[in-house]
Amino acid sequence: MNRLKAIADGQTFESVIHQEVLDRDPVVSIRDFSLFYNRKQALYNITMPVAKGMVTALVGPSGCGKSTLLRSVNRMNDLIESVRIEGDMVLNGESIFAPSVDVIALRKRMGMVFQKPNPFPMSIFENVVYPLRIDGERDKTILMQVCEQSLRGAALWEEVKDRLSESGLSLSGGQQQRLCIARAIASDPEVLLLDEPCSALDPIATGKIEDLIDRLRGEYSILIVTHNMQQASRISDHTAFMYLGRLVEMAETSTIFTRPRLSETEDYVTGRFG
Amino acid sequence: MVWLSGGMFAIACLMIVSLLAYVLWQGLWTLWPRTYSIYGRKDGTLVGGELYAKASLEGQDTLYLRTGNYDVSNQHFAYVSSSELVEPSGWLAPDLWLVERKEWGNLYGFPKQLSWSQADPEDFVRVVQQGMRQTAKIDRELGQAKNELKRIDEQIADARLGIRRVELAEKIDLQKAAETGSLEGLSPSAQKAVSNLGLRNRQADETMVEINARIAGLEAQRSERTLVFELPILDPLGTIAADWTDLRAGRLRDPTALAELLGTAKDSSELSFNAEPMGDGGLSEPGVEDQRLVCKVSIAGEPARRLMIRRLEDGRSSVEAFREHSILLADIVRFFPTNRLGIFQRLGVYASRWWEFLSGDPREAGMEGGFFPAIWGTVVMTIVMSLAVMPFGVLAALYMREYAKSGWLLSVIRISINNLAGVPSIVYGVFGLSFFCYIVGGYIDGGPIKAGFEPWPSAVWFSALGGLAIVGLIAFAISIFSGHAQSRRSPLRTVLSWSGGFLWLFTLGLIVWLLVKSPHFHGFYEAQLPNPTFGKGCLLWAALTLSLLTLPVVIVATEEALSAVPNSLREGSYACGAGKWQTIHRIVLPYARPGIITGFILAMARGAGEVAPMMLVGAIPLATELPLDGEFPFLHGSRSFMHLGFQIYSLGFQSQNSEAAKPMVFTATLLLLSIVTVLNQTAIWLRASLRKRFQSSQF
Repeated sequence: MNRLKAIADGQTFESVIHQEVLDRDPVVSIRDFSLFYNRKQALYNITMPVAKGMVTALVGPSGCGKSTLLRSVNRMNDLIESVRIEGDMVLNGESIFAPSVDVIALRKRMGMVFQKPNPFPMSIFENVVYPLRIDGERDKTILMQVCEQSLRGAALWEEVKDRLSESGLSLSGGQQQRLCIARAIASDPEVLLLDEPCSALDPIATGKIEDLIDRLRGEYSILIVTHNMQQASRISDHTAFMYLGRLVEMAETSTIFTRPRLSETEDYVTGRFG
Repeated sequence: MVWLSGGMFAIACLMIVSLLAYVLWQGLWTLWPRTYSIYGRKDGTLVGGELYAKASLEGQDTLYLRTGNYDVSNQHFAYVSSSELVEPSGWLAPDLWLVERKEWGNLYGFPKQLSWSQADPEDFVRVVQQGMRQTAKIDRELGQAKNELKRIDEQIADARLGIRRVELAEKIDLQKAAETGSLEGLSPSAQKAVSNLGLRNRQADETMVEINARIAGLEAQRSERTLVFELPILDPLGTIAADWTDLRAGRLRDPTALAELLGTAKDSSELSFNAEPMGDGGLSEPGVEDQRLVCKVSIAGEPARRLMIRRLEDGRSSVEAFREHSILLADIVRFFPTNRLGIFQRLGVYASRWWEFLSGDPREAGMEGGFFPAIWGTVVMTIVMSLAVMPFGVLAALYMREYAKSGWLLSVIRISINNLAGVPSIVYGVFGLSFFCYIVGGYIDGGPIKAGFEPWPSAVWFSALGGLAIVGLIAFAISIFSGHAQSRRSPLRTVLSWSGGFLWLFTLGLIVWLLVKSPHFHGFYEAQLPNPTFGKGCLLWAALTLSLLTLPVVIVATEEALSAVPNSLREGSYACGAGKWQTIHRIVLPYARPGIITGFILAMARGAGEVAPMMLVGAIPLATELPLDGEFPFLHGSRSFMHLGFQIYSLGFQSQNSEAAKPMVFTATLLLLSIVTVLNQTAIWLRASLRKRFQSSQF
């Protein structure tokens, strides 16, 4: 507990990242990344890789900055007026925060799914092909092809193939969330960002989403925020434990849950605090 | 506390319901065809009328009667106290007609004679209806002929305008040339204008003779057919000696004396006397001190005359004739025997009056007939207003909600806009009159001088134009430069963007100032001066004034609709790689559409019912031309128009006979109320149905 106390006191802290994670080929590398809301610092010098083709889970108690870190990857935090950042991230070798980066083009290379399902008020079909629509794609056959592919990818095709023209809002919550995943993978993203995708869903829908994430493993690189330890242990390959804006320990999931190097990590994953 | 609040609630409900019920009752009742009763006064005269209202005070009734026959009696309505009357209930004469006329309002009387037909009085209804169909044709042809005349007048006015334009352009006087038609020493354009006027004048001379002859012929045809009515107004003829019992039995002791009084028949054998007791009211009841008898006297070869015989104290009887009055068949709009109608015929008349009210032109300065021009004017004005306010309001709200950085400046602007919604509407009227009508309208009509500005000398103006170009270029360069300065929040960039914005504003102001001070612009309608074209109240300025007035409504509603769009949708769109504008027009605007449309319709409802500014900026009590018609360019922004709300005001409180117009005021109020209600209901319904589409299913 003394390390967490040190973090709370604002002392510098060295993250522990296991070698097996560093050995992997990263799709996103976060490099010495700090983030401020006005004067208040929310993230402290985070350095971590997100391995290609794997599922990386961010865990930690509420307010530890996992969502902020995730939203920084596709620069959603730009939308907040008072945010200032230091450090950088790299997506497949290209800087994310360099001044010359086109944010719109950058976001097109990533897919994002939010806590609450947020289908657009339009048909299921239009929801899925929205990323193509904004690129000006008009070819019906291409749109249809992508729509089917994405819905199959999101394990929703069989349920909605007969009612693609119905409103996306007519689906159930779990279906809506899978629709959002279909939308996120429609533009074939390099990394998929999931921000607690199951927190607003019932257990059955959660199970379906977890199965889906399991299926997407390998095909997509996934960075997922969750505060459900079981979920992290079930679906992720790597787990990063964050606390008060700092990365504490990151390792293969089995390592984190069975023999973490830091006792604080063990306390957290076994539910002794947080 | 529950009793207090509940009581207040009940009082509030009662007030609203009673307002609605009153307007509804008065409005619906006005057009209903009522019965016409004839009452005998104790002084021997008669008064007849449709009973509109009855008030009781200290055991005395005061009857409010619509007497009609304005051209003879000089009144539309009369108050009669029951103490003046012989009997409190009147005589419902069965063969009395109500005739609605194009002029002079209603006539109530007994049809006596038709100038073109010898038909039996029983056949009058059919014959008059037939005659009306024929006169309607004459009226149509007359209208066409008058239209042709109007067109010729317009052509001549156009030609005169052409000459005036040449005069203004070449600074010469063509008055003499136009009169004589000589083209010597004139420029080609002046020659063209003068010869054009000459040509038009010659054409007009030729055709006008023909048209005027045609009009005279039609007018003669129109006035050929007349109807003679006997009105319930008595003219004393004299006295005769008569035995009252005989009279009541239908016999006359001394027919010759009566024939002499009538001055028609010399021979009493040709005179047949026919007593007709006056109905259920019983003006001839025995025992009443003042006994009366209405009778018909038929003279061979002439239509029967209606007389009133009244017993005098000395035993003789006075004879009074119902006053005869002749009207043109062509003046009749509608007629029916009002006391003899069944409920379904009454409903038919009611429906046809409503139809005329909704679709017809006004008669009698709006007191009778239709409100169509007022309805049309209101609708057209409201539509033009909506077209003006919609883009402004929505774009302004979009900027405030989606683009502008929130800060004290935005808050101040938002509060100001909200306050603007509470400014009394007459203030907008005053502004519209002084700014739109006099300054902008005057500028359009006659250039800066007409709008009250002193133009600069040419040299000064051109150097100012050069200055404008330089300032504009600098502003452009600075905006480009500040757009390229990439580093976020650098002080240089802030300064640059502020100064760029300031320079753009300055440029805009300079452009306006240059327009105002131009010595080279003399207006688009200089030739029409001193008659104003846009420099007066008209449809365009009324619509713009109202759009200013409803702008806060639209902005506030749109802002609310935009802020109701969940942020998660915006984030979802941005996460898909959509830009700001893509997000707004694909996600935000469709989602906010119901709210925006609601605000739009509320603004329309507010604008449609607004009267105070209309009085200043373009509504008039009687317009001969519609603001939107089939004539090029169809929408006439420079025309004055009739407006329903203004019509209510001017009819009820400004017309010469506002007492008589009151019933119509209620009908118009009902109409305005229903238009506004329908608009509001549409808004509510639209919002509900559109919102349903965006409702997420629960999980």
